[in-house]
Amino acid sequence: MDEATSPARKGNLTGSARKLKDNAADWHNLILKWERLSDEGSTIATKIVNFRLSKESVKDPEVIMEGNSLSGAPAEKSAYESNPELEEECIKLQNVVERMAHILSKMEKMVSAERGICKLEAFQYGEKGRPTPLFQTWSTQQFVEVSSKLYEVYKQELALKRTILREVAHTANPDLCMVYLSCWLHQPYIQDNTKILLESLLMETGHKAV
Amino acid sequence: MSQPAVLKLHQELRKCFQNIKENQTVWRGVLDECSSLVSSLGNLAEQLRALKRTEIEKTPLGTFPNLPELLQYKLLNAIDTVLNQLREKVNAFGSVRDSVIKHVCAVFKMYEQNSDSLPISTCVARCALSPSISDMLEWLQDTERYYRIQYMQRKNLLQILKPDDLTLLESAPKRWLSLASPDGEERISDALCQVSFFLESD
Amino acid sequence: MVLDLVVVPPETSDLGSQRCRLGLVLMEDLGLRLGSPVLVTLQGGASCLCTAWPRPDLAEAYLQVDPTCSSAQLRPDALRGLRLGSEGLRALNCPRVKRLRVTALVRSGEFKRRTSAQEVGALAAELLTGLYVHEKHLVDISHAGTPIHSLQVDTVNSGSHKAGRVTPETRVDVVSVRTLETYQRWERKGSSVPLGGLEEVYVTLKEMLTLPLRYPISTRRVGVTAGRGALLVGPPGVGKTQLVRSVAQDVQAALVTVSGPVVVGSRPGESEENLRAAFTRASEAAREEPCVLFIDEIDALCPKRSSSTGTPENRLVAQLLTLMDGVGSDEGFVIIGATNRPDALDPALRRPGRFDREIVVGVPTLQQRYQVLQCVCRSVPLSPNVDLYSIAEKTSGYVGADLSALSREAVLHAILHSTQGGAGDSGQSEVEEGDVRMEHFVKAMRMIAPSCLRSSVGVAEFTPVNWERIGGLEEVKLKLRQSVEWPMKFPEAFVRLGVCRARGVLLYGPPGCAKTTLVKAAASSSHCSFLCVSGAELYSPYVGDSEKALAQLFQQARACSPSIVFLDEIDSLVGCRGDGGGCRGSSVQAQVLSVLLNELDGVGFKTTERRGTGLSERQETRRDQRMQLQEVCNQDVMIVAATNRPDMLDSALLRPGRFDHIIYVPPPDLQARLAILKLHTEKMPLNSNVCLEDLATRTNLFSGADLENLCKEAALLALHEEGMSVSTVQQKHFQKVLQHFQPSISSQQLLQLQQLFKHNYN
Repeated sequence: MDEATSPARKGNLTGSARKLKDNAADWHNLILKWERLSDEGSTIATKIVNFRLSKESVKDPEVIMEGNSLSGAPAEKSAYESNPELEEECIKLQNVVERMAHILSKMEKMVSAERGICKLEAFQYGEKGRPTPLFQTWSTQQFVEVSSKLYEVYKQELALKRTILREVAHTANPDLCMVYLSCWLHQPYIQDNTKILLESLLMETGHKAV
Repeated sequence: MSQPAVLKLHQELRKCFQNIKENQTVWRGVLDECSSLVSSLGNLAEQLRALKRTEIEKTPLGTFPNLPELLQYKLLNAIDTVLNQLREKVNAFGSVRDSVIKHVCAVFKMYEQNSDSLPISTCVARCALSPSISDMLEWLQDTERYYRIQYMQRKNLLQILKPDDLTLLESAPKRWLSLASPDGEERISDALCQVSFFLESD
Repeated sequence: MVLDLVVVPPETSDLGSQRCRLGLVLMEDLGLRLGSPVLVTLQGGASCLCTAWPRPDLAEAYLQVDPTCSSAQLRPDALRGLRLGSEGLRALNCPRVKRLRVTALVRSGEFKRRTSAQEVGALAAELLTGLYVHEKHLVDISHAGTPIHSLQVDTVNSGSHKAGRVTPETRVDVVSVRTLETYQRWERKGSSVPLGGLEEVYVTLKEMLTLPLRYPISTRRVGVTAGRGALLVGPPGVGKTQLVRSVAQDVQAALVTVSGPVVVGSRPGESEENLRAAFTRASEAAREEPCVLFIDEIDALCPKRSSSTGTPENRLVAQLLTLMDGVGSDEGFVIIGATNRPDALDPALRRPGRFDREIVVGVPTLQQRYQVLQCVCRSVPLSPNVDLYSIAEKTSGYVGADLSALSREAVLHAILHSTQGGAGDSGQSEVEEGDVRMEHFVKAMRMIAPSCLRSSVGVAEFTPVNWERIGGLEEVKLKLRQSVEWPMKFPEAFVRLGVCRARGVLLYGPPGCAKTTLVKAAASSSHCSFLCVSGAELYSPYVGDSEKALAQLFQQARACSPSIVFLDEIDSLVGCRGDGGGCRGSSVQAQVLSVLLNELDGVGFKTTERRGTGLSERQETRRDQRMQLQEVCNQDVMIVAATNRPDMLDSALLRPGRFDHIIYVPPPDLQARLAILKLHTEKMPLNSNVCLEDLATRTNLFSGADLENLCKEAALLALHEEGMSVSTVQQKHFQKVLQHFQPSISSQQLLQLQQLFKHNYN
């Protein structure tokens, strides 16, 4: 009993409890980092979209004016390709996504580590797992579930962001551009329950007061 | 003979103009804060509209499950948040208005109470340092009406904004801007300008 | 001191401030302080409540008014360039308002639907705070840019004050919310035309409308789907359109009018489109308030569908039916169609669920005419000698439109008379200056023919004949008077004795014995509508046309009852049904006869010819009673026929119940002849040696016409013999004419006629 309620108070935890608590803190930090990156990325993406859209609007009259002149085609082509600014932004965005991928890989590692702890407990205490919870109420299995849920959400989100990265610079449709941007900005897969999961994880592990 | 009454009224007028001066700054500040909120509201509405117009299934995003629903939910949430913030701002306008009304009412009350000792000829008398009482009362009334109507219009606009009415949301920034009445603002500033000597001549 | 003020438009900065800028002196004169309320009253009664402020330039002679709170009849442009005496300004004591009842006029119906009354009330209170309001004024707050355009102040402090100042503590009750559009519509409609004599139909129609429109919830609770349509049937001019308008106004329903011919367009599908648009408009209005969709001349829109008429009509009919079915019964939406040709409508339209009810508006009866006349003459200055009742009596067959035209015409005559007569007999016109007198009505009656007799088959113009113009025949006159004049003049006696008026009268007798003249006299003395048929009018080469014409004649006669249908030379018209002896009876004649028999005592007449039931429960003066009795006695059409070959008539015609009275008009006897001679020589300068008595004795078997001719011939002879300057006709002229003159009646013929009905006459 005292082992179940005390570890948060005890200060120096060992073994699985230590590991889980550290992981929870890591989740928090990683997600914070992710948010920062996402914000950074959204500014870049906005730039890209604005660039594309302004170019579209500039390009239209050009086409009309130089419709049948010979110089029309190369001018258009140059507008599309040789655009160092746009390229630069795209590279920046790519960097952001890479760093996000890096975060995700860390998340993945944490999930697999927690799985390992779970397996270890199964080995120690049999199929039913630990008789008393490590912290307040959660079984180890629940930690794994929460972590993998979080991981799934961010994985999905990263996939979305990769898609956006791939497409955003090549879309002429302003509506679609807008959708890309709002997808990036609002991170549709990170819903309220994601935050609740994280919060409850932090509470369970004693990072935050109940 | 009417001198004490005039002086008393002048005192009250000074207080009132002082108050208006302070409130004007508050009002302007809140208005500035609002403008970014309103534009983000418009932006969100635009995003929502774009989402509704786009057929996600046919785009590269089509592979993501439930994307449109989730995104829409997010956007509506965001709109709700912004609307709530705006509501707070409008309440701030309300308190400005209330304060102005309170002071202006006090001045008018005093005038009405003492109007027997304030013949009209006295009221319209102007001098280098102070505008006539009649002019000042008029400015006060104009100011009060300006704030009253402004508050009502902005509150009203906010009331009719509903997250499900996209067209209205999209037009919100424009409508918000159209509510601004530089004339009215200017008139208040003018009035304050004209009474500046009067305020100092305490 | 009365100052003349020039009204100048207000400064833009004063817009919506309710300020009224005036000069200092004036303010002091009126005892006004800064911002104290002042009521500005313009010529014509429009007023405006403002707060007084000095003009910035302190000029005296100008007035600037901000019409924020002004009475509804004040038009904004009415202030432009106006001069106003300072007496139009009045300081007003305005206490704080505790309770205020207002009607909100909003810009869009959408806002009205979406917003609750409380919200509107709160907004209204905020908009009104600080303003001075006056009872029945319209407070224009459109400049605030809210959905409320203006507020109409109904009562201030529950009516105990006229005006007051709205404070934040004022309780503002919004009585009703209306769209600006509706409000303006009501304002425009303002004046309604009073309807006379249509009370019964009015009540029926109103009841029909009020139930579903005004009490939608209770009708729903009872579980009855309210009727959604009514068809008004009646001849043109009886006031169907007017009726619908006034009922709609009475129940406060919007009225969307569709007139049949306007809807129909030339482009394929255009008509249907127009129709749909009208229905959409109506249902749009029905969301606001109860709505009546009125389709005038619906017969043009919805004729009978048949294979012979073109498909466009059929499509239109189908569209109308579909639209009518599509109207939800709970929508506060009622459709009223009006037509004067109900038979031309598609039968599918006239079933419950579409037009549930058919309301027949008939040609006004005597009483109704009296009421209509009272209505149309309400604003006409009548001279005391005008007896509307006798006018009503004389105007049988007139519909409402005719009567109003009649009164207009009478007024025109009166105006003409007074302008012309002003120079001539100033003494008389002084007394009755501008009054409309009876003779004006009589004159007007001559100009305006009853519209239900227009384009009728047998309308005859004839100069009225007095009974006195017919010499002798006193017995026959008495008989005719009995059957024609008495029911009109002594209805009480008829009802008391349980006698009803004779259906038909047959006059027979030798030719030229004043049969036709007698009938004319009867008609002119009884003020009946007089229809006259002759064979030539009736016969047509088309099969069935004659019968139809005759049936129509009777229909019209019934519409204009009391009326007299005169069939002259009836033997030539109908003849005898062919039983071997009737060699003259062609098949057409036989058919006409059968129509006539049917009309004489058919089972009844069609529902669409129904007229007022006369059951209105009004307080009964003696005159009313008399009128009712008269109506009861004279509902029918009276048929008067004349012939000199009664033996040629079908016996079926001659039985009581058809021709009740068979009157023999004998050739004039001695006294009658004398009377006739006297009549015809009245204007003839006779020599003193002319002895009319002698002539009368010598002219046995002469008919009236013969006698007339005799006089004429004698006069011509006198001219012939004595030259054009002859002064008198002498006895010798008469005698000379008489020598060659053969009476047109033979004694044998006479005997035959006398014998014929001996068994039932004497």
